Amino acid sequence: MKNIIYLFSTFCLSFVAIAQQTPATIQGESILIVGATLHIGDGTIIENASLGMEDGKIVEIGSNESIGKEYAATINATGQHVYPGFIAANSTVGMVEIDAIRPTNDLNEIGTFLPNIRTLIAYNAESKVVESLRPNGILTAQIVPTRGRIAGSSTIVQLDAWNWEDAALKTDEGMHIYWPRSYRRGNPTKGEDPLVYDQKNYDKQVQNLDTYLKEAKTFNLKSEKKHLPHAALQAALGGDQQVYLHAKEKRQILDGIVFLQKHGIKKIVLVGGDDAYLILPFLKKNNIPVIVSRPHRLPNTPDEDVKLPFKMAKILMDAGLTITIDVSGRMERMNTRNLPFYAGTFAAYGVDKEKAVEMITLNAAKILGIEDRLGSLSVGKDATLFIAKGDALDMRTNQLSHAFIQGRKLSLKTHQTELWERYMEKFSRK
Amino acid sequence: MKQKTPLLNWRLKSAVQIILKVKEHPLMDVQFDGWPILMNRLKTRKKRSKESKHHSPVAVTFPNNGFGFTSLPKAQNTQFKNATVWTNEAEGILTNTDVWVENGKIRAVGQNLSAPGTVEIDATGKHLTSGIIDEHSHIGASSINEGGHNSSAEVTIEDVINPDDINLYRNLSGGVTTLQILHGSANPIGGRSAIIKPRWGEDADGLLYKGAAPFIKFALGENVKQSNWSSYARFPQTRMGVEQVFVDYFQRAKEYQSEWSTYNSLGRKAKANTIAPRYDLEMETLVEILEGKRFISCHSYVQSEINMLMKVAERFGVTINTFTHILEGYKVADKMKDHGVGGSTFSDWWAYKFEVNDAIPYNGAIMHSQGVTVAFNSDDAEMSRRLNQEAAKAVKYGGVSEEDAWKFVTLNPAKLMHIDDQVGSVKVGKSADLVLWNNHPMSIYAVAEKTMIEGVFYYELDRATAQIEKIRQERNQLIQQMVEAKNGGAPTQKTPKKQAREFHCETLD
Repeated sequence: MKNIIYLFSTFCLSFVAIAQQTPATIQGESILIVGATLHIGDGTIIENASLGMEDGKIVEIGSNESIGKEYAATINATGQHVYPGFIAANSTVGMVEIDAIRPTNDLNEIGTFLPNIRTLIAYNAESKVVESLRPNGILTAQIVPTRGRIAGSSTIVQLDAWNWEDAALKTDEGMHIYWPRSYRRGNPTKGEDPLVYDQKNYDKQVQNLDTYLKEAKTFNLKSEKKHLPHAALQAALGGDQQVYLHAKEKRQILDGIVFLQKHGIKKIVLVGGDDAYLILPFLKKNNIPVIVSRPHRLPNTPDEDVKLPFKMAKILMDAGLTITIDVSGRMERMNTRNLPFYAGTFAAYGVDKEKAVEMITLNAAKILGIEDRLGSLSVGKDATLFIAKGDALDMRTNQLSHAFIQGRKLSLKTHQTELWERYMEKFSRK
Repeated sequence: MKQKTPLLNWRLKSAVQIILKVKEHPLMDVQFDGWPILMNRLKTRKKRSKESKHHSPVAVTFPNNGFGFTSLPKAQNTQFKNATVWTNEAEGILTNTDVWVENGKIRAVGQNLSAPGTVEIDATGKHLTSGIIDEHSHIGASSINEGGHNSSAEVTIEDVINPDDINLYRNLSGGVTTLQILHGSANPIGGRSAIIKPRWGEDADGLLYKGAAPFIKFALGENVKQSNWSSYARFPQTRMGVEQVFVDYFQRAKEYQSEWSTYNSLGRKAKANTIAPRYDLEMETLVEILEGKRFISCHSYVQSEINMLMKVAERFGVTINTFTHILEGYKVADKMKDHGVGGSTFSDWWAYKFEVNDAIPYNGAIMHSQGVTVAFNSDDAEMSRRLNQEAAKAVKYGGVSEEDAWKFVTLNPAKLMHIDDQVGSVKVGKSADLVLWNNHPMSIYAVAEKTMIEGVFYYELDRATAQIEKIRQERNQLIQQMVEAKNGGAPTQKTPKKQAREFHCETLD
């Protein structure tokens, strides 16, 4: 028996050592944050202000004197900065734990038309990568599918959860279409020069997508025989579900948007959009929001402006487009925690600092359709916010003292901070 | 709307046949940048074969690539006035300070300098630092990995320098003035590296850092074990095997060394009667390591292998110079300090393979706290042009002081590369490798405005901005000439766009 207890406790201990931080309990007592600079998320700030949270919601905002309610607990945040939780759009955190290890990959589904695939099902709420986002202020993420012409649907999650049901904020909120590339790169292993070639199958691929959508439209909902992928497309085709068009080149973007509109799809969001700057009036006229490629990427050609990826947000915002940041790209999951610094880089190249904050808070929430609950410090919205030592878009001052999701006070520890403490302690023993 | 009809026709000819059946079309509102070309095509079509056209040539540049120079830039004696100067020396950060550059060197640092015959640059409100040094890069090379067998000490990156790589220019735009181009990590014993300065416009030899200490790349872990792709035939497949590869090669090098020293110690007559040992470039390189004439920068991840290589090296009287990547260096920082090896790591990369599961962004700070010389490197063409941001992460993760964090991307890599007598700080007598920033260099809002190598401005933001417009015009001019030639009946061919490959440690060619 003793042995069994021993074994059990060893198991528990090892479990504690490998699991994510324990999710926080629901907000018990009401909390007032006092004396902080509030970054509202709509491009404005309120200095030396207070913010009250109760039952997971923001219940009061104003100058320190104007606060009327009584609160059970107070956090003195004098000199500190409060931000709405940052929102990572077009992210894949929790879908692959370690890139090189295939068993940890639940992102690469096989097939071309996969509208019935749902990321939510495989989202690992206990991922170590997910918990690493929180200490940088990222508290909400859109988890997207990435394989296939129609890749399936995405879900918005909060990043402090026991399981995927617990994590889900808005389930299956968008359908993802990856537009065919109009050119391709030569494959040196097949003896081709590493040049860029026309994609000969382009027209055919577009036609296949067209045929598929037409078939899906004629799908009979009342039929006894249910075609699951077609059934999964009905919400998008009927206008109830947003469609995310993943396209980078000018031709892809134009063809894709015109195509989707022809199919009667009205809620279109462009993802990536490297060439969006070449067709600004078109995007503006059609009121297309853009989840723009992160600035930490290389220009697409040797003679493209070296700084173009950094300037893109400014260019699109000046044209009146609503934008947020696409966190995908090389090493995207581990780099998702750099989202605040992507926004900061856009600010270094022309975007107003508070507008850069708005980009990854309120505008992200608007584009993802969650602005009723998230994206700004507003009375009635979820108390999903954090307190930072200073400017949260700058590496040196992105230092969090507190973070809350729906008023729940999160652990800001991670697997990584624990190793840091453990080895600093080891070296202090001498 | 009417005047845009040809555009629609143009689009119709293209692949967008889906849109055929619409009268009003959003494409009509698209700003089509090929409009002048299209109009020209229509005009020239009318004039076709009436006259043969003389095309004006487009000047070649150094390099003949985007953002090349029309003539090579020259060193100029310069004075930066009234800057905040990050010296990286005992003086620390000096405000309202002038820096005088003469003949490619820093001649004076002080207040209210009088420097006759110099070009004055008003640096009021700006920050002047020494150039960024990237200890681990794979740009500017035509090839990175000789992965045929488990030692390739005979090859050198110096033989494959590609001075036309646009990434060199992009690096300049981020303030990089010196880089070590390392061989990849396919083999336990990789190839020799090249230390270069991105002197944009120079040829391959012109890029090499004159008199730099010789280095070689070693590698440990998953890449040399070939763990992440289907290869099960090459030794080693485990970290146990990796140790034996090093012991084996060092042993062979020692025997080769002693064969030669025996031969060399023979008298003239005996020498004449003895066959000389076979000259072996691979062994010669390893002997240089044994003799302390060539330094090792070793790709490394987990603590067991880091510990192993230090022990193997010590057995052969060798000190490992640098562990690069070294993501679990924090676990053995005390041992590294004792061995005397430096750590050149990533600021915050992890989770891309199993051996970086315990990689933490506090690694740099922990190694630094134990007295290890720490650098942050890129191993990436994209990251290397913003290493200033990466340095700032040492402040965020682990609370390194700003002055020390800045040294992670300047003075410390210079020390690790044994070039700190010439670069890495703003000090009288050192090379004028300087960067002028519009802001605190580790601020997220910092932009490099000027990058100077040995007195030459290889990058200036103003000039780059003007060049973008020039490139656009030149592109239009070339396209127009091609269209005219085509309409004139000239033979045509497909013109595929060139796109250079990006190399990382793991790129296998």
